[in-house]
Amino acid sequence: MESDRNSQPDLLQADGIRKHFGGVAALRAVHFALRTGEVHALIGENGAGKSTLAKILAGAVRPDSGTIAIDGHPAAIGTPLDAQRLGIGIIYQELDLFPSLTIGENMAIGNLGLREGSLVRSARLAAFCRPYLEQAGLHCSLQEPLGTLPIGKRQLLAVARALSMNARILLMDEPTSSLSGDAVERLFSLIRALRDRGVAIVYVSHKIDEIFRVCDRATVLRDGETIGTVEIAGTTSAEIIRLMVGRDLRMTVRPDRRTMGDVVLSVEGLTTHKLKSISFELRRGEVLGVAGLVGAGRSELGAALFGLDPIRSGVLRRAGVPIAPRSPGEAMRHGIGLTPEDRRDEGLMMSMSVLENGTLTVLPSMQRWGFLRGSREKSALAKVTDRIALHCPSTDAAVETLSGGNQQKVLLARWLLLDPEVLFLDDPTRGIDVGAKQDIYRAIDDLAATGKGVILVSSELPELLRCCDRILVLRDGQVAAVYDAAEATQEKIMAAATSAFGDRA
Amino acid sequence: MMGLLRRAQSVVALLGILILAAIVSPTASDGARIFLEAGNLTDILSLIGIISLAMTFVILTGGIDLSVGSILALSTTLVAMGLTRAWQGASYSSHILWAILAAVAASTLAGALNGVVIASLRIQPFVVTLASMIGVRGLAKWLSRNENIDIGFGRDVAARFAEIFREKAIVIGSYVGAAALFWVLLSRTVFGRHVRAIGDNEKAAEYTGLPILATRIWVYSLSGLLSGFAGVLYAAENHQGNPNAGVAYELDAIAAVVIGGTRLSGGKGSISGTIVGTLIMGVLTNMLRLNNVDSNVEMMIKAVIIVLAVAVQRAE
Repeated sequence: MESDRNSQPDLLQADGIRKHFGGVAALRAVHFALRTGEVHALIGENGAGKSTLAKILAGAVRPDSGTIAIDGHPAAIGTPLDAQRLGIGIIYQELDLFPSLTIGENMAIGNLGLREGSLVRSARLAAFCRPYLEQAGLHCSLQEPLGTLPIGKRQLLAVARALSMNARILLMDEPTSSLSGDAVERLFSLIRALRDRGVAIVYVSHKIDEIFRVCDRATVLRDGETIGTVEIAGTTSAEIIRLMVGRDLRMTVRPDRRTMGDVVLSVEGLTTHKLKSISFELRRGEVLGVAGLVGAGRSELGAALFGLDPIRSGVLRRAGVPIAPRSPGEAMRHGIGLTPEDRRDEGLMMSMSVLENGTLTVLPSMQRWGFLRGSREKSALAKVTDRIALHCPSTDAAVETLSGGNQQKVLLARWLLLDPEVLFLDDPTRGIDVGAKQDIYRAIDDLAATGKGVILVSSELPELLRCCDRILVLRDGQVAAVYDAAEATQEKIMAAATSAFGDRA
Repeated sequence: MMGLLRRAQSVVALLGILILAAIVSPTASDGARIFLEAGNLTDILSLIGIISLAMTFVILTGGIDLSVGSILALSTTLVAMGLTRAWQGASYSSHILWAILAAVAASTLAGALNGVVIASLRIQPFVVTLASMIGVRGLAKWLSRNENIDIGFGRDVAARFAEIFREKAIVIGSYVGAAALFWVLLSRTVFGRHVRAIGDNEKAAEYTGLPILATRIWVYSLSGLLSGFAGVLYAAENHQGNPNAGVAYELDAIAAVVIGGTRLSGGKGSISGTIVGTLIMGVLTNMLRLNNVDSNVEMMIKAVIIVLAVAVQRAE
């Protein structure tokens, strides 16, 4: 997509990088080239493989195959220490710092530049740290525990630490994800200053407006593949969005226009620690999509409706009646169900059986004279497993032995058994195979057809377009836009989610 | 199928130890193997077996109860105090009944207190039960003024109590009854299913609306109840209420549960496993003592068995 402007070898060149996690391909033949003194964006949707590539370059993850060259010489980056020796520093999204250690200790720990015997003298440490802290624009005492610094300053400290390790290449993974406006500005001016001093910066992000503000070039990843590298000066945000989402997927077709009934859930001015004044209505027979970047408040919307996060202000009405669920149990009694985003950590009991997981929400009705009836449980579960094509060797098999898709179906079965009027599905197809996705889409269609209200969160825009009647786009905890299925396009949704061009509703 | 094999494996281990014990058993003057005599076989089961049943529930929720030995001591002290106190006009049976009820109720309350603190203040079970292990022991010693309360051999109510409750049939019957009850509770009731679900994945249990708080409180209450009941049997067996009784019982109970294949982090395990674990420890102890093995060597051998049992299960 571009011609080599100079014959000088790239500072860093990665070719044919592949990486599988279990059966899932995270990266398939990725190419990436970085020049001295540029800020190079690595951009793509959630799950495109940006962070995995960054971790491979930093030695935190080993690739299955592929080559990496630095200054034209092949480099073996097996561990984070190898990366440090080669002048590669990384700043993770979740900062890899130690809040209860002091700032000085955080600078010293794991730092090869300071390793001289096993004792670190405080005077020497101070002399060592000062220039790097000044470069990063930090003025603080080395004796303070890191935890006393606000998060924005911790980010700057992470940069100072990387600089003190003589980083020529600095990888930043979603560096602004938890920063406020001021802190973002400080970070951007530091990034520009470092670039002018010849440091090459890889800026991992999916926020398009930021890319246009600090980056010189951008490499777009999609589904673990390199789509292309573009000069920022010669492109538009629309072009980048097209590169990020432009895929073709064969899907089951959505049913014709659904018939909708009364309002089953209405949300008015809902505000929590993460959400700001969210309002919408959900009707019987409707599938409402929720789009937005990670951290935009998608899961937090579920948490608020399901009694997990306290509601600061706003009114929820179930079929017209105001409710204020303070626990999942209460929300369930009001006819609201939720399948969490992280099925391993928040959804399933991995060592328990398919049957035990499936009937967990309806156990009390499976008793006779206080004892659980296995036969009653089995016949109840069988009714819903047929509807979602759940495949397992036996319902006595432990859930941990099933594939991701079937695990997700067990979680769905649990809620289909309870049969709530409103079901919030938080990214139900994350990391599952195409066939299982189609089964889940069909289950969503069925729910709508039987008059339930469904809220579907997804990171995959084609999925939202396939399943939903309306799509709510969240950004920074607010409703950025609402689109009817007929008028929604991937480009419009992405634009609203990233605020690349204004389309506020 | 794998589960069945694994369970069979621990039963095979138990049979192996039983056969070994019979072979190495010293013989009596008439040539009979002492290990196999009825009087000896009934000795295998100790009070720790009863405590291990409730400990299984505690560990299944991902918790631990270090206070069981101290609660046992509190219970023996209370029951002995109750029985040695004069109660004009009461019949023997109601005096005995009320003394037992008071001791068991106090023990259950101590367990419930553990549960309330653990569940509502969200402090680690290890810390909370470590504190009550110290505190309840202190209470037992303070109540008894740090002295054993002897139950005589005469014709008074206390002696009558001891005579009844040291009967092997009562002790073994209690264990069998409690084991059956807890087995049903775990495998056939909503409560048992909740216990395992919470231990397997507490966060998911929260997201499913399960009664986490109540379940935890119940589990520690049951642990207190069985420890208290074991304390009553201890008083009868030893003819005294002893505030220093039950030291390190928690460790033997945890060992029996772990040998029985229950995962220490919770969610996975069974009462049948704990029964086998209890018997393995019991037979081993009995075998070593019959052969006059130094009790310090006995501890070393038990240490090896615990690690070995868990290592074999891990390899599965």
